Amino acid sequence: MSRPTKAPDKAPDRITTPITGGVGESPLRPDGTLKVKGEFAYSSDLWMDDMLWGATLRSPHPYARIVSIDLSGAWQTPGVHTVMTYDDVPGEKLFGLEHTDQPVMAHEVVRYQGEAVAIVAADHPETARRAVDKIVVEYEVLEPLTDAEEAVFATDAPTLHPGGNLVRHLPIRRGDQHATADVVVRGEYEVGMQDQAFLGPESGLAVPAEDGGVDLYIATQWLHVDQKQVAKCLGLPNDKVRLMLAGVGGAFGAREDLSMQVHASMLALRTGRPVKIVYSREESFFGHVHRHPAKLYYEHGATREGRLVYVKARMFLDGGAYASSTGAVVANAATLGVGPYEAPNVTIDCWGAYTNNPPCGAMRGFGAVQAAFAYESQMDRLAAELGLDPVEVRVRNAMAEGTTMPTGQVVDSAAPVAEMLRRVEAMPLPPAAPTDSYDLRELPGGVSNTTHGEGVVRGIGYGIGIKNVCFSEGFDDFSTARVRLEVIAGEPTAMVHTAAAEVGQGLVTVQAQIARTELGVERVTIHPADTQVGSGGSTSASRQTYMTGGAVKAACEKVRGLLLDIARERLHVEGQLHLDGGKIVSDRHGVLADLAEVLGDEVIDETVEWRHRPTEALDPTTGQGFAHVQYAFAVHRAVVDVDVDLGLVRVVALDCVQDVGKAINPDAVVGQIHGGSAQGLGLAVMEEIQVRDGKIRNPSFTDYLIPTILDMPPMKVDVLELADPHAPYGLRGVGEPPTISSTPAIVAAIRAATGLAIPRCPVRPEDITGTA
Amino acid sequence: MKPFAYTRAHTVWDAVAAVSAEPGARYLAGGTEMVNLVREGQESPDRLVDIGDLPLTEVRVHGRGVRIGALAKRVHEHPEVRRRLPVLAEAGLSAASPQVRNVATPGGNLLQRTRCHYFRDVRFPCNRREPGTGCAALRGVNRNNAIFGGSEHCVAVHPSDIAVALTALDAVVHTHGPAGERVIPVEELYRLPGDEPNRETVLDHGELIVAIDVPPTPFAARSHYLKLRDRASFAFALVSVAVALDVRAGVTHDVRIALGGVAPRPWRARAAEDALRGRRFDDDARAAAGEAATTGAKPLPHNEFKVELVRRAVVRALSEVEGR
Ligand SMILES: Cc1cc2nc3c(=O)[nH]c(=O)nc-3n(C[C@H](O)[C@H](O)[C@H](O)COP(=O)(O)OP(=O)(O)OC[C@H]3O[C@@H](n4cnc5c(N)ncnc54)[C@H](O)[C@@H]3O)c2cc1C
Repeated sequence: MSRPTKAPDKAPDRITTPITGGVGESPLRPDGTLKVKGEFAYSSDLWMDDMLWGATLRSPHPYARIVSIDLSGAWQTPGVHTVMTYDDVPGEKLFGLEHTDQPVMAHEVVRYQGEAVAIVAADHPETARRAVDKIVVEYEVLEPLTDAEEAVFATDAPTLHPGGNLVRHLPIRRGDQHATADVVVRGEYEVGMQDQAFLGPESGLAVPAEDGGVDLYIATQWLHVDQKQVAKCLGLPNDKVRLMLAGVGGAFGAREDLSMQVHASMLALRTGRPVKIVYSREESFFGHVHRHPAKLYYEHGATREGRLVYVKARMFLDGGAYASSTGAVVANAATLGVGPYEAPNVTIDCWGAYTNNPPCGAMRGFGAVQAAFAYESQMDRLAAELGLDPVEVRVRNAMAEGTTMPTGQVVDSAAPVAEMLRRVEAMPLPPAAPTDSYDLRELPGGVSNTTHGEGVVRGIGYGIGIKNVCFSEGFDDFSTARVRLEVIAGEPTAMVHTAAAEVGQGLVTVQAQIARTELGVERVTIHPADTQVGSGGSTSASRQTYMTGGAVKAACEKVRGLLLDIARERLHVEGQLHLDGGKIVSDRHGVLADLAEVLGDEVIDETVEWRHRPTEALDPTTGQGFAHVQYAFAVHRAVVDVDVDLGLVRVVALDCVQDVGKAINPDAVVGQIHGGSAQGLGLAVMEEIQVRDGKIRNPSFTDYLIPTILDMPPMKVDVLELADPHAPYGLRGVGEPPTISSTPAIVAAIRAATGLAIPRCPVRPEDITGTA
Repeated sequence: MKPFAYTRAHTVWDAVAAVSAEPGARYLAGGTEMVNLVREGQESPDRLVDIGDLPLTEVRVHGRGVRIGALAKRVHEHPEVRRRLPVLAEAGLSAASPQVRNVATPGGNLLQRTRCHYFRDVRFPCNRREPGTGCAALRGVNRNNAIFGGSEHCVAVHPSDIAVALTALDAVVHTHGPAGERVIPVEELYRLPGDEPNRETVLDHGELIVAIDVPPTPFAARSHYLKLRDRASFAFALVSVAVALDVRAGVTHDVRIALGGVAPRPWRARAAEDALRGRRFDDDARAAAGEAATTGAKPLPHNEFKVELVRRAVVRALSEVEGR
């Protein structure tokens, strides 16, 4: 269980800062102060004195045949240690999360702008970049395929991959496929391509090891899935590719796929030197997958009382050049495509396609975001058609515990959708738009001095979202936790060791809280996450507190059981014992002894693999099956002031109700809700990777805009705790739901203010001024 | 990035001599623009001459108006600027972010390069960056590009906010160059692209901006800057309007209207000024000015909306300033 002897500077160390507080409290995060003070070591800070720097040559074309590659210029650059291409990949040449379809470096053809073509290691990052510039690639440029619908259906579309352009088509068929209804509303919706916009660019350090393997320090979301792919591509057994989690500066899905992991490892193994790669900000926009842009066609049929009779939908998700997690994103969009509503008859088809656009994959909300924008827009249309209030129409159709989902799955834990809607509706509204305000920050346009109240119209909108938590469709989803209990310097100390990635969400704090609660010890240290322990699974799908939290809890229970066995033996007592505040307590005799006394020199070190209840695959023709472990819900009410003349929007309030089952760390829960809501606000009014002819137009934070503090209102957050009996502590995944519902709520509010249809997000000024 | 030499100048004369002597030499002030350009490859100087030590940091009010040193920081916070030249204070505050404003200089702001995606992304052809390669914006995403003053060779927009405000204030820049000193109206500092988009300003190589002079005018005190953008702060203008107004007894005596985000230089909307001058300053006049401001607009496929925004923004800016 030791770490490599030669660890780089700025690699995460064991967390020994005391994290006081158990489950349900909000202890300070050990990384919080460091991050605020700029002292936290991120993966881009990793350092070894003898390291080389890697750089990547990328395709300027979205689709082209590689005619020739001339590396001589790079080789001749002084300071360059090696130059490598596809031909140098030692093991498998392809990798991928769900489908192995992506070459480690381009081979014969490039399928998206920014695809890696060659890599260089040099003694200085600038030398490496200059050497990359000297590589001459002759391309035969091809016409890119840039439309997902065309990719699937156009007969004359080029075939981008051997199996065709379809990554996955999932139909959902439930009930009467020919149902008719009194009231019918139809809509076509579009969601732009959002970026995760994490702040720490892709980076890591590969260190060649004496056994011929490699030690890779890396910012990732899932160490073991990286390990598996990297080992295959290097042609090494898994145990020769050891990964250590480096400081992660945000992830949001963008670190689920490999970026520079194989490249740095190849360069390190070839040169025998540690190699560090850090993407620039611009490169980062080409270095990770984005949220699938979507085109969605919906039709809702309802009774005159506003009860849904049927929902029909056709959705197209643009997966870009490689599959990444498109298949799972398709499943989410399709299975959650009705939203948190009861609909007896459902006809949904969702297609995920290959195109020559930037690859798309995991991003917070994962397919549920795109669907929610459409189904919530439809619910508002239905309300308008029936003359009903938007909350009323939602409440009339709200799902609840016991509802049968479009997949046939019966919801078997709390689903308080109607109550959540009523609660958010009952929250106090912000005061009316100021008409004589001189605090310009309170008005659309903010400090841009666009208005002092004239032209401003207020609108209110609601959005509710549903998300599956954990991995679905029969995936063997587990997490591993190792817990070690021993007495150090007279004090009982627990050490928690998992491979679960802390990406900023607060997992290390939660792990310590759980150990404190379960073992009743004050001192808990957290071992750095690495592959020396079993997989923790991905930090995605809102699953880590559930899964790794569950594993830590289970490992602690096992350790506690063993400790109590020792206690029974040493104290010669029988029957029920428990741990309380560092004491061994018996029901009958009260406090018996100190934990430290009982444990003595003994070390209890247990590792547990923990699984959630199994799920099933979906039937490929009907989409039926018990596919999801848990459902989570958030509802937002957005209040906006729109300057209708100038097309400017100010979100005045964005209040939220979310059921979290059990708030393991209430501050962290609220933090997730704030952050998720802000990310949804970004998608509603500004965030979009602009792609034209397969090329990204705005790969910078000057041009890809994310909300600032002036765009984001203070939020009222109401956290419900309705325990899920299947989950540890009854908890429900928290991270994704608020991202899903805030976008449709804000767009609904803009529609309410302007009376416009607004079928697309993000909403730009010209969509409001009607002069687009 | 190409290697370059770095030197610091201690006098204006040294600075001018150092840059004039070498065709590949450039000035470096706050560096918020130049450093990015060098790193991203739009500029590849042989030498950067740092002018940060030159004594050009003062904002001074005198009989002939306000003189702003080319290196004065956070001019928009200066109480006299706020009082006398609200349009400039507002434009300055609306530019970039507090962090950028802490180091950026007015000289550098006036001479920043366009934010046109196709100029900034060196993988694309761009006549402004590399003469004769073509204009990718014309056929690309041109939402942010010019509706006035473009040519078939370039439709880039000048991104400076303060240049628009200074144009509405009849401001001039003072320069020291190899050929001596001169004074240039801010509006005339910039060339329209025509068939030489790479020649962006009228400055000679090595000509240093030492100060900006804002003359006393009867319209400066009643002035206003309005900026439309895609988020509430820290974004360049889609459309901006600087208005400065002298209304006497309800009649517009004199007026300046300049537009930003729509042309390769701050765009004086003279037709809009004419629509106001000598008339009652009322809703009709403001509407007429808004209409006139769009005269000559030649929108591109993705920026038609800017024409209507210009019309509305001019009307709004004029109504906003009325209350002053
Ligand atoms: C993220 C970001 C957002 C921004 N947003 C805005 C915005 O919304 N509105 C806006 O107006 N601006 C904006 N800017 C631009 C910013 O205002 C300029 O970068 C800044 O003003 C440049 O000043 P500087 O001193 O740093 O110039 P430098 O980077 O030092 O120089 C810029 C150019 O001017 C030349 N130069 C500098 N001083 C002189 C001089 N005295 N004489 C002759 N030549 C000189 C240099 O040679 C160089 O070519 C933004 C910039 C960034 C990075």
